[in-house]
Amino acid sequence: MATHPPDDIAIIGWHVSPMIRRTELTEAQMLLEVVNGATAHAGITNADVDFTCAGSCDYVAGQAFSFVQNIDAFGAWPPKRDSHVEMDGAWALYEAWVRLLVGDLDVALVTGSGRSSTADPDIVYPMEMDPYYLAPLGVDAMSFAALQARVLLDGGVVTERQMAEIAARCRRDARANPHAQVAGDFDVDALLAEDYVREPLRRHDLPPITDGACAVVIARADKARELCENPVWIRGLSHCAEIHYAGLRDLRQAESITRAAKAAGVGDAPVEVAELQTAFTHEEPLVAAALGLGADVVVNPSGGPLAANPIMATGLVRIAEAARQIRDEGRHRTLAHSTSGPCLQQNLVCVLEGE
Amino acid sequence: MTTTRSVEATIRFPYKRSLGPVMGAFMTALTEQRFLGIRSGERVLCPPREWDPDTAADLSADDLVEVGPAGTVESWTWVSSPSAAHPLDHPFAFALIRLDGADTALLHAVDVASPDALSTGMRVAPRWKAERVGHITDVEAFVPGEVPQGGGGAGAEEPVTMMDYDAAITYTTPVTRNEMRAEAANAEGRFLGLECPACARVYLGGRGFCPIDALELGPEHEVELSQRGTITNYTIIEPVQYPGQTETEPFARVHVLLDGSDVILGYQPVVEFPVGDVRIGARVAAVWNDTKVASGGGIELDGWIPTGEPDDTDPNLVNRIC
Repeated sequence: MATHPPDDIAIIGWHVSPMIRRTELTEAQMLLEVVNGATAHAGITNADVDFTCAGSCDYVAGQAFSFVQNIDAFGAWPPKRDSHVEMDGAWALYEAWVRLLVGDLDVALVTGSGRSSTADPDIVYPMEMDPYYLAPLGVDAMSFAALQARVLLDGGVVTERQMAEIAARCRRDARANPHAQVAGDFDVDALLAEDYVREPLRRHDLPPITDGACAVVIARADKARELCENPVWIRGLSHCAEIHYAGLRDLRQAESITRAAKAAGVGDAPVEVAELQTAFTHEEPLVAAALGLGADVVVNPSGGPLAANPIMATGLVRIAEAARQIRDEGRHRTLAHSTSGPCLQQNLVCVLEGE
Repeated sequence: MTTTRSVEATIRFPYKRSLGPVMGAFMTALTEQRFLGIRSGERVLCPPREWDPDTAADLSADDLVEVGPAGTVESWTWVSSPSAAHPLDHPFAFALIRLDGADTALLHAVDVASPDALSTGMRVAPRWKAERVGHITDVEAFVPGEVPQGGGGAGAEEPVTMMDYDAAITYTTPVTRNEMRAEAANAEGRFLGLECPACARVYLGGRGFCPIDALELGPEHEVELSQRGTITNYTIIEPVQYPGQTETEPFARVHVLLDGSDVILGYQPVVEFPVGDVRIGARVAAVWNDTKVASGGGIELDGWIPTGEPDDTDPNLVNRIC
């Protein structure tokens, strides 16, 4: 058994909720299931949790300070140290990781949650864009993605057939994922015969609209060893952002991914599996290249965001799936990627290792 | 109960934003049917930013330069069914447009009849609105060709310093089964509670879980709550007249701790309880009215009336806050 310095931090438990188009549960109720599921998976109780950090979005929830009600799902009595990010739960995990590095707390619970069925994502998304030049035009996520897709198609980075093949592969792999919303066998030629939704994107190039949540428990090395026989070690974790306005960037590149990957040490040893937050098919080759992944790396065996895309939790689910590959599938070194903002503006990279 | 209900609410976001020297100059130029970019190192950025995206160095309004009005499409996508937030109400394209003289692309709409009229590298020019206020939508859309369309009239008399952004989102939120059962109980003149099997705390029925133990609560945990309680806190409101305010005299809102439970009903009205007599510790009982029952409605809570019992003198009552 390898020894780990006390500042090493490990994932010791996680839980992913059902991924569905429209839930009847409140966001707090969705969280209740994953919080209790993750603590049970980690073999701890709420009393063992020293710090909680949630990722969610008020514009998605339709309520200011919606995360305050979500704390009810944490069993936060006696009061716990708590924080929140208006970002995907992957960034909540980043904050919790930094918080545990301080050294005075041992166990943190991290969540990501979103109920996208509450409003039309095409109306919600522009509210989060540049308020001077972009939000007044109502530029939605699909349109941003389509503009980048055309740049990649024009630049020969990807073809429409490759995009359809990526969709077919993800949906096929998703058949084995009990949390997948979209799964099955699809014929690439049949997919390519369908109409465009946002030319050059067809339905299969787009993620589903998903309600869902995820929770992950992390712990400092000594505590992780005490609580868990097979912790999944966070070997590298970093994130990086570039300028928001997509017209000012070279959309054939994703420099922030490359920088985050370098800081997280992706290239230090071979990665076997990568769970990428590529919600649009054309993003997969761009992100994989920016991460420096070889052709032998298995990408999104869960089906990825094309199989289920719970906004605000999609990135944290990638981390849970990358951890599951180590715990349940016998992998040694895996990677998770999360992204935020238009055309892959901000990116987080997490490298995980077994013993 | 097998069916669920949802409630719909539209939230408006009527923002007013200050523009600063760089974006203010850009918006002012739009009223004059001109585009401004800004020098940043070797590049000209359009739309102009206040900082160099590579070095974060301040960019000065002195470095603004005129670009366009025509430009080249660098990427485009066809929006076949526009949303309510989009600038045009018929199918159109979003495009990245590099205006002549700029090194970066402006994101805007292109108005053509079909996607067949679009290609990367095509030339476009702005179609200006007749009335321009200093807003990105002063350009109605770009159209194919070299020659600007529309417009007319004069630019802004004063530099534009502010912009409006009025958005609205409609939310549809499901009413949970617990909330529906609690509402049904209210309509019968009852208060429904939920008792946590772990800590035995009792909550008002609509909540679906114990926030202390993070346990889900359902019909099997329901208990009937008392119709009597004690005031734990109160406020006297001097009504300010605003749309929807019907009160004209000072009135009380009280928090009531229901007997035998941990449930506090907040911001409750009082009945036959003079404002000057309202106090912490006063014992009160629920008053219901059935005026809507004849027309198929439910019983409704009017408020809380003093019972005449001796006050509860527990000095910690005021610390009960939820």
